[in-house]
Amino acid sequence: MSEQTTVKSPSPRDTVPDRLAALEAQLAQSQRLIMDLEERDALKTQFLSNISHDLRTPLTAIITHAEILRDGILGELTSKQRESISTIITGGRQLLDMIAEILMHARDSSEPLTLVESEFSIHEVVEQVTSLNESLVAKKGLSLERYLSPALPPVRGDRDKVIHVLTNLLGNAFEFTPSGGRVWVDAGMSPEDPDNLVLIEVGDTGRGIARDHHELIFREFAQVDSSASRVHHGTGLGLTIARRFVELHGGRIWVESELGYGSRFFFTLPVNRRSE
Amino acid sequence: MSARVLLVEDSPMINGALKLLLESGGFDVTVATTAAEAKAAGSDVRADVMLLDISLPDEDGLAVLEALDARGMRPSTTFAMTGHSDAATRERCIAAGCSDVLLKPVPVNQLLRIVSEAVA
Repeated sequence: MSEQTTVKSPSPRDTVPDRLAALEAQLAQSQRLIMDLEERDALKTQFLSNISHDLRTPLTAIITHAEILRDGILGELTSKQRESISTIITGGRQLLDMIAEILMHARDSSEPLTLVESEFSIHEVVEQVTSLNESLVAKKGLSLERYLSPALPPVRGDRDKVIHVLTNLLGNAFEFTPSGGRVWVDAGMSPEDPDNLVLIEVGDTGRGIARDHHELIFREFAQVDSSASRVHHGTGLGLTIARRFVELHGGRIWVESELGYGSRFFFTLPVNRRSE
Repeated sequence: MSARVLLVEDSPMINGALKLLLESGGFDVTVATTAAEAKAAGSDVRADVMLLDISLPDEDGLAVLEALDARGMRPSTTFAMTGHSDAATRERCIAAGCSDVLLKPVPVNQLLRIVSEAVA
């Protein structure tokens, strides 16, 4: 950190030129401090970006080797050995997802994200994301329902980022809904602007979120339960990134929930984004 | 004769696993860890399939495809491999002549299937 010097505060007994000089010195010191903090913030962001990238390589190797063992390529395994290796793979893939979130957040801080636009169907996006989760849904004993309005027009936006938002919301719904519960996706035109705004809901019958936490969950690194002994782990960046992606499209994301009564997450996407 | 796979991947931990996997599937695998090595190996013998990591230590991985193309040694099929398969990366790889873009780590059963389909 740059060396700090104490700047004398102006006193009422000083002459006007003296007070002006003291104020200017204070201003210059504040500017130096701001520059110093900005440099440190850029370094921190670069570090996060580098370390996230470097963590992916050994993790990719661990997952690939574990899959080779699981699939019996190096010899048959007992069912217990296969189960143990499958847990290594699941854990490794969870870790990769977390690293991807940190990397995305670090990139957004250093070089603001932009949209790669194309025209796409919300039906296809919902179908893609839900079908990828079918085995997880079955394994957890949940039911997954889709309510898609047949009249949805194609949307102009960043397909990958919309998939990311939907994957994140559904992932949370699956994680926080106990076995036997329901998760649903509902997509239609928003009553707010039925000609140009798509409204997508991801709902669940899970544990719900207290009203006090409805804003907190969208803040970076925030977790409703931040204790080390918490049951659900993550970077605390998933919903922050989801909100960033929705807002980049000119949409809005929010939650309606009561503790013990499930959650309903909503986000809107304009059909035709106005150029910025 | 076994189908030839040129595996271009700089991490020994990853290329070791993928070589093991592909050889178990009956492929003849050559490993290159830099763009220069890949250009040399790909110019000696034409590969049926090239698995190409697009982030290499000495050059952009897609330069390998361009160089082999210029020498008339373009592999029959090339799959790009990357840690971040966003739309812009995907577009760049497809424009360069890759058949598909695979997000690392590629599930091993998926990798064996697509390489087998490419040489069928």
